[in-house]
Amino acid sequence: MLARMKKTLQQNRWYPLNRATKTRRPIWRNTATLRKIEGSLFIAPWIFGFIAFVAFPLVYSLYMSFNLVKITVTGVHSSWVGIQYYREILFSDGGLLYDDLFPFLREALVIIPIILVFSLMIAILLNMKFYGRGLFRVIFFLPVIFSSGQIIDEFMEQGEGTLTIISDLKVDTFLQQYLPEMWLNPVQNVIGSFVLVLWYSGVQILIFLAGRQTISGSVYEAARIDGADPWSIFWKITLPGMAPFIFLNMIYTIVDLFTYPSNPIIGKVTTDNYGLSSALAWIYFMIVLLFIGIVLFIYSRINHKLATQR
Amino acid sequence: MNKVKQLLLGKEVDKGLLFRILMYLLLIDVAFIYLKPIIYMITTMIKSKQDLLDPAVIWVPMKLYAGHLIDALGMLDYWKGFTISVTVASLSALFQIISCAVAGYAFARLEFPFKKFWFAALLFTFIMPPQVTILPSILMFKEFGWINTYWPLIIPTLFGHGLKGALFVLIFRQFFSTLPKEMEEAARMDGAGALRIFFKVMLPISRSAIIVVFLFSFVWTWNDSYFPSMYMFGASDVPLSTSLSKLNAKLAMEAQEGGLRAFLEPIKMAASFFIILPLLVLYAFTQRWFVEGIERTGLVE
Repeated sequence: MLARMKKTLQQNRWYPLNRATKTRRPIWRNTATLRKIEGSLFIAPWIFGFIAFVAFPLVYSLYMSFNLVKITVTGVHSSWVGIQYYREILFSDGGLLYDDLFPFLREALVIIPIILVFSLMIAILLNMKFYGRGLFRVIFFLPVIFSSGQIIDEFMEQGEGTLTIISDLKVDTFLQQYLPEMWLNPVQNVIGSFVLVLWYSGVQILIFLAGRQTISGSVYEAARIDGADPWSIFWKITLPGMAPFIFLNMIYTIVDLFTYPSNPIIGKVTTDNYGLSSALAWIYFMIVLLFIGIVLFIYSRINHKLATQR
Repeated sequence: MNKVKQLLLGKEVDKGLLFRILMYLLLIDVAFIYLKPIIYMITTMIKSKQDLLDPAVIWVPMKLYAGHLIDALGMLDYWKGFTISVTVASLSALFQIISCAVAGYAFARLEFPFKKFWFAALLFTFIMPPQVTILPSILMFKEFGWINTYWPLIIPTLFGHGLKGALFVLIFRQFFSTLPKEMEEAARMDGAGALRIFFKVMLPISRSAIIVVFLFSFVWTWNDSYFPSMYMFGASDVPLSTSLSKLNAKLAMEAQEGGLRAFLEPIKMAASFFIILPLLVLYAFTQRWFVEGIERTGLVE
């Protein structure tokens, strides 16, 4: 019954019967344009907002980055200085960008995998059926509520960021022996604020949990019947199935990490020198884009490999 | 022997006793890491002078002391900040639900010119650090006379932008595109337009997505101190998130002038507690739907 209804629906999709004239007319004659107008109406507010709150400020900020901007009572005055600010930030006055950027990038490279692995692990655990699961879920989503605020900074100040077990195990001396100097500081920083890293994983856990639900249980059932052990089930089913979500989480983590207000470079975008700050913001944005570009590239490679394996 | 082995390892690994113990250990550890700051916050803020100075008192204070709580309430100008925060956060959450759902629906189901281009623009908005556009935005809002008011925080949310607006559009887009198409087609056959389909059919069934977006939007707006500090730097009435940094500055100044140092921490903790308390209450009431909603929406791209 339902299948037949669906079939007639499909048949009549492009040539619906006009009740008044008892004729069939192609739908695109008028309806397609109508649909487009409808769609445009729906998206219009968003596009207006995009132009007003994203595109215009974006172009203006690019313009400001090439200008000496002075704000006086009478208005905004700008005089063209060309790429002076870019040159200053990138070449002559390296301290402005590089001193913070390189340690930060190195830290990011350490933090991102930790967040991903940790949240994947927690999500898989939370997806299992066990006693007290509801309670654990409630606790594990708490970071979503806190991690965006200054409250976290407050906790960090109180020394809640470190795990005492790390100093107990003398991890520090171990690291000093085996890590090259360039990486020592970032790794120490990350370990020193390890709790913070875990606190950043709230949304990621949610994404992984939602992603885990998209892998159907029958696949696991089949693997179990075939006698696959959990270890290979994880590597052969769960991980490939989660690949898009790992990628999504990677993008989310990068965006989150790089736009977090207490991020050192972002703190330097101030209202003191509009031109210089704008140039800095643009350079920073290009770095973020580059980072995401690299992730995209790696992801497409992995995806390709997975596709050919199957 | 075999029986013991089966009990320990189970028929499948995730059913075995050994695995269970390990799993609970891990979960409890992480839960403790998440809860410890909150426990610390609560125990510190109710410690009296003697308890703070007594090294034997670490977690449980000898007696309850409410003085720091009262101090913090006064220093934060709590009720004013609370009203502002509630107003701003709930208005932006409400506006973002509607405007982001409309945009998400358009991206998921409707046709409009240059759709691919606008979708790229949406992704661009998502990954762009807000700091790139902050300075021109300040100038623009100054031109409108909106600086030191709440308008710069609220108006963009009317159009599906504002704090993390792009992410919410993506969530709604994802949600709507997973719904079966037949539902709309049936409504279309009955002669309903997109507007009616959206408000009568799509929006009512998207409860889980709405809850997820509401909670995220509310919480993030509540916690955000970056935009208020940029747009409202000269205002005396600010949301709670910004009043914390003001309180910190005030305390630091007092500490420099001498004395008080031992009591900075409990006051700060009390202030932090009051700032997140409304969120905790909100979360306590919504967490059930929230957890369910997350699973149903497939907060997924």
